[in-house]
Amino acid sequence: MDAVTYPDAKVIRFITENMIPLRIAFDAQPLSTDFNIKWTPALVTLDPDGKEHHRTVGFLAPEELIPSLLLGMGKSYFETDRFDEALGSLEKLLGEYPESDSAPEAIYLRGVCQYKSTHDPKPLKEAYDQLKAAHPSSEWTKRAYPYRLL
Amino acid sequence: MAENIKWGTDMDAALALARAENKPVLLDFFNPG
Repeated sequence: MDAVTYPDAKVIRFITENMIPLRIAFDAQPLSTDFNIKWTPALVTLDPDGKEHHRTVGFLAPEELIPSLLLGMGKSYFETDRFDEALGSLEKLLGEYPESDSAPEAIYLRGVCQYKSTHDPKPLKEAYDQLKAAHPSSEWTKRAYPYRLL
Repeated sequence: MAENIKWGTDMDAALALARAENKPVLLDFFNPG
């Protein structure tokens, strides 16, 4: 991460503008135990109360790190009932990084956010249709499978 | 624009800044080697 991803200009800009970056040695206590860290790099997205919402383990290239962080932001906002902000992060992910590994989960979560905002089930079915068309082998397509009936 | 990422090293300070700026925290557990 230090050799390739963190020096990338887009990564620097994204993290500086959107997140509070915090770096802790993997064996620093009590945080290592509190977060059950067993391998590095472990990247964890926290809300301002310190609650975890997203985690990745292992190297991510710049073109995968930014969408992963957007997904983490989306999950953080979603899980704190900030649906409009969650949708903003997810739309940015899907607009700028539609081929990223984070895209299928973002499509799924976008549908859920839209449903939670409107109580209209149509976005859930649309999410399944989009996943089936663009990511037929994704686990998120399988998780959305029941929504085809809505 | 910053030339590198300005990592904090203190959890309490990072959370206070996150609350003040209404942003999530990116916590990177790394191996200093």
